[in-house]
Amino acid sequence: MAPYRPPSDQSREIGIVESEFASVRISINDDGNGPRLRLEDLRGDKVRYLDALELETLVWLRDEHLSALLDPSADRWRE
Amino acid sequence: MTATVSGKASKYDQLIEPTRVHGSLYTDDEIFREELEKIWYRTWVFVGHESEVPEPNDYVRTAIGPQDLVLSRDREGVLHVLVNRCAHRGNLVCDDQRGNSSSFRCPYHGWTYKNNGDLLGYPFNRGYGGKGNIEGELGLGVLPRVDSYQGFVFASFASEGPSLVEHLGAAARELDRLAGLSPEGKAELTAGWLKHQTGANWKLLVENETDGYHPQFVHGAIFGVTGSPIGALYSDKSTAVTRDLGGGHSENDLRPEFRKFGEPMRWFGTTEERVFEYASRMREAYGDEDAERVMIEGAPHVMIFPNLFIAEIQVFAIQPLSAHECVQRSTAVQLRGAGDINKRLVSQCMGSVGPAGMLLADDTEMYERNQYGVGMRKPEWLDIRRGVDRERVDENGFKIGTATDETGMRGFWGHYKSLMEAE
Ligand code: FES
Ligand SMILES: [Fe+2]
Repeated sequence: MAPYRPPSDQSREIGIVESEFASVRISINDDGNGPRLRLEDLRGDKVRYLDALELETLVWLRDEHLSALLDPSADRWRE
Repeated sequence: MTATVSGKASKYDQLIEPTRVHGSLYTDDEIFREELEKIWYRTWVFVGHESEVPEPNDYVRTAIGPQDLVLSRDREGVLHVLVNRCAHRGNLVCDDQRGNSSSFRCPYHGWTYKNNGDLLGYPFNRGYGGKGNIEGELGLGVLPRVDSYQGFVFASFASEGPSLVEHLGAAARELDRLAGLSPEGKAELTAGWLKHQTGANWKLLVENETDGYHPQFVHGAIFGVTGSPIGALYSDKSTAVTRDLGGGHSENDLRPEFRKFGEPMRWFGTTEERVFEYASRMREAYGDEDAERVMIEGAPHVMIFPNLFIAEIQVFAIQPLSAHECVQRSTAVQLRGAGDINKRLVSQCMGSVGPAGMLLADDTEMYERNQYGVGMRKPEWLDIRRGVDRERVDENGFKIGTATDETGMRGFWGHYKSLMEAE
């Protein structure tokens, strides 16, 4: 049951959010059955999709939760 | 119901004979409840197509009988069929017909589930003794078996039973044929479903799907208006056959008739030149000889027990609601990589089974008149003997009749009876 991959990448680009530390391209992607936010790490070459419920969760995330995620050893550079 | 159980003969022995079936099979609410348990909640039922949930976290609403279901694809790409009912107080969890979400949040009290059915969390969790206390215990109902063949997804409420491939049996080859019409070997169902509610028992629809006796009468108008060559396929002169594929599946095999003419795309009512892009992609993909054979023979006309009907260019899914009511969903077949033909497939499908489509309206009128009739007291039986004396066995051991014979119906009822008699 391999996923069917649609032939095209239907993304409506919003722009790039960038600082001296990171650079992320933001678009809304319409390949699936509903819109998703598409985030592309322009330095690390990785893409993540976030659906509406996940985004709402981010909006409500407490600052200390967010800071915990920023710890470089939290996910990306963990042993 | 007037039939009574006597001696060792089962209730269904009394109601189903080789060449006639009792009218109460279409009207009795008790029989309908038994069908749900023994057929719809036990065998494999078609629920959707992989191409309907192409991306991770895609989902679509679907159904088996009165059960409201969600077909989802999780983050890893695995398909799940979930019962659309909150484990808390039973509310409907998904409202939209389709969407993309990694989790579902119930509107009543906010319980949130992963798209594999697991309970992820619930608001104000101290009321349950904190986080992690009931997650393992309460989740969405999950259908224990989900499998697909040529992208067609089937699910079963029963955890044990024949595999999907065993269930499909000879009908699997017909799904292969459909996929083989695509230059990339993939048929897809991405055109969207139209829902049509019908005041008739689901079995009248199943019986009609491979009934080659009615088209000239019921569909005479559309054949006349469109100049379609389809009518002639269902006549005494036709070389087409009706085949009992076993397992309740049956088909109208129209290939002998199309081979006689040997014209590519005649089955679609067109010529190769008019779908040039498609035809050249087919020739490129399969080579001239094979591509030509496939384009001459065309698409299958097959009823896959109990609810999936493929009528060449359109797909139907039958959903029974009660003994007297069902919903027919229909959609156009789309052929992956096919170019110009896909738009035509959609417009032909709209013309025949769209909101103003003539085929669907014609057939529905017949189902509903039938349902009205079977509610009457006399005669009690419906006759399915047509062609029984000229039935033969083909080189593969399947029973076949001529284009207008009731061979498929007899196959359906034999299988139905075996399922209904099982404990
Ligand atoms: S019924 Fe779904 S959260 Fe209460
Ligand atoms: Fe018909």
